[in-house]
Amino acid sequence: MEVHITESEGTMTARLVGRLDTPASSEVIREVQPLLDHAGETLVLDCSDLTYISSSGLRIFLTLRKAAAAAGGHVVVEGLSSEIRQVFMMTGFLQLFEIR
Amino acid sequence: MADKYKLDPHSAAILEEYRQQRPVFEKMQETLPAQVRALFEEAGIVVASIESRIKEEASLAGKLELKGAKYASLEDITDVFGMRIITFYTDDVDKVASGVERLFEVDWENSVDKRKLLEVDSFGYLSLHYICRAPDFPYRFEVQMRTILQHAWANMNHDTGYKTGVEVPVEYLRNMNRLAGMLELVDEQFSRIRTEINDYRRQVQSLVASGRLEEVPLDGDSYRSFLNLAPFDTLNRRIASVNQAEIQEVSLMPFLAVFKGIGFKTLGDLADLIRDYSDAAYQIACYQIALTDLDILASSVAPQNLCLAYLLKQGAGRAGIRQMLDTLHGASESNDVMAGIILEQAKDFSFMHAKS
Repeated sequence: MEVHITESEGTMTARLVGRLDTPASSEVIREVQPLLDHAGETLVLDCSDLTYISSSGLRIFLTLRKAAAAAGGHVVVEGLSSEIRQVFMMTGFLQLFEIR
Repeated sequence: MADKYKLDPHSAAILEEYRQQRPVFEKMQETLPAQVRALFEEAGIVVASIESRIKEEASLAGKLELKGAKYASLEDITDVFGMRIITFYTDDVDKVASGVERLFEVDWENSVDKRKLLEVDSFGYLSLHYICRAPDFPYRFEVQMRTILQHAWANMNHDTGYKTGVEVPVEYLRNMNRLAGMLELVDEQFSRIRTEINDYRRQVQSLVASGRLEEVPLDGDSYRSFLNLAPFDTLNRRIASVNQAEIQEVSLMPFLAVFKGIGFKTLGDLADLIRDYSDAAYQIACYQIALTDLDILASSVAPQNLCLAYLLKQGAGRAGIRQMLDTLHGASESNDVMAGIILEQAKDFSFMHAKS
């Protein structure tokens, strides 16, 4: 699992690559720390290369959402494959995020 | 400096006192509007704006030039510092006035309710003017209270440059007064509409509380009241129990557009949906999550699956499901793909094969 962070004006983007399963989650939550540090901005989670997400992965998304809500920012999820989109739908997570 | 205003010695002395006391008026401007704002905030009084100003030196000099002899000292001039409180509704002017009365000592002899001065056959400037005194300040000040429409009319009228009714051309006066009459009617209508909306909300809350849901039209207010009854909680808990999942609360207001799009007209229709389709919605959830490790769900799962179950059972097809998803998440081709997946899954849902 890889996380690539990029920053542009007012937007922090994390591109998630690979399987975001339970073992990977503890590492990923550390790697997205720059987004938590900029929670007042627009946080983009680019899922174009995300191949799997578990509950632990969803909790990371939720952690970012809560931090953004508290700091006046917001989270955008983009590039969902139909498999990951299915997970978001059956858990109701599509309602929690701005999906692009 | 007073020379440039051509004032007599008495008026020049008052103007000089104004210059020396200007810091006091600045302190009033810093303190008093903030006190009003704090009181309104505490009392939940919403106003359009609170403005304040200190009379400019040239304006005061003009006043003294015209009627300086009328004032013994600066203390007699009550509009050097002034506040204007603009309300949205006519009903709120009296409410705002009560707040001002509580905060400041009102000089009733010099305060004017212009709303009551107008003759029955005339229209014009409607406003409530109080002359007040605040603790810790030696000077009285003026507080004007009026609605946003009265404010607009007064500003437009003032913009013409005519300060007294005497010098105004008759035709202009007649047209401005016609407008004043119209704005007075509009103000009344706005207040009436607000009252009717509040009555409707109370009525809806009462019907919802008494369970007479079939009598309540489905709209933003009624749906919000319905959500206060937590109507989807039972189904959400039942779905969550499949994987011992935790439930993340999310706003369910976006589903109002979906319910209305499906054709539901009353809260009774929603109650029927929950009663008749909860088992099917639960089946959808079981099929989708029982064989996964997903132990976190958003509270939107219940209304989402209820809508899906209803649409599938009613034969809404791919287009109907896509429309629901488009309404919830914004139009996108991805929703069409999801609609196709759900239709494919639906072949395995037992409720789709049950005879109704």
